[in-house]
Amino acid sequence: MVAAGFVDFEITWRAEVYAGAPQSSSAAQFGTLGINFRARKARDEAEWANAVAALTCEL
Amino acid sequence: MTAKVDTALPGVSRGIEGLDVDGLRRAIQEEYALVAAEPERDFHFHTGRRLAAIVGYDEEWLDGVPEATIASFAGTGNPFSLGALMPGEHVVDVGCGAGIDSIIAARMVGSTGSVIGLDMTPAMVEKARAGAKEAELNNLDFRQGLAESLPVPDGWADVVISNGVLNLFPDKLAGLQEMARVLKPGGRLQIGDILVQKAVPEKGKQDINLWKG
Repeated sequence: MVAAGFVDFEITWRAEVYAGAPQSSSAAQFGTLGINFRARKARDEAEWANAVAALTCEL
Repeated sequence: MTAKVDTALPGVSRGIEGLDVDGLRRAIQEEYALVAAEPERDFHFHTGRRLAAIVGYDEEWLDGVPEATIASFAGTGNPFSLGALMPGEHVVDVGCGAGIDSIIAARMVGSTGSVIGLDMTPAMVEKARAGAKEAELNNLDFRQGLAESLPVPDGWADVVISNGVLNLFPDKLAGLQEMARVLKPGGRLQIGDILVQKAVPEKGKQDINLWKG
């Protein structure tokens, strides 16, 4: 998400949306859930650079 | 602002090596042409009003949406639960399918707003246009195209919505970059999609049947 230019990524909801579907699928095999997520395009290069910097950490 | 992509960032990849991208797109188009033409068939996902209830759509949003449009709904989440669309806003619906979310969005932004719905499956675009005509909406335009090259000007949109489509992009970074390109600085991304909790084996990522379901 950050690499594409977004900030403030947040998953707000998850649910088993494939449960009980008419045909079987690989959803159960891989624990597939439906989700809602949001993010915001960075306002400028500085905001984006801060988001990139926040991804790194020191060990 | 155009992000300078750093492919060394965690989790960044450019597509799947060995994946037949054209074959994948054909398979997806065939599947969703069926959802457009025969939504009552059995699929590996729920459809229609039942699905809309599962993902939490308000009944009020569906008032006035043509039944044929609702019947072909095949999303995986609820972009409208992530924030209100305001009157006058510009919205792009990536992978709009039969147009249910585009029609709901067009109502929310009103006559001073505008919505562009995009889908790569001709049968879906045709059905979406019919639905918009039946709903008598003039602030809504449907276009055929790929998510990786959206036919929308730079910085046009206040909001990009999408529902159950991002997971089908062969190159997710390219798709997300396109969404960023069409958004204004500070513009919102409101997405319904899927989350896979167990890792898919590398060989499985080349299996088109696995992509489809």
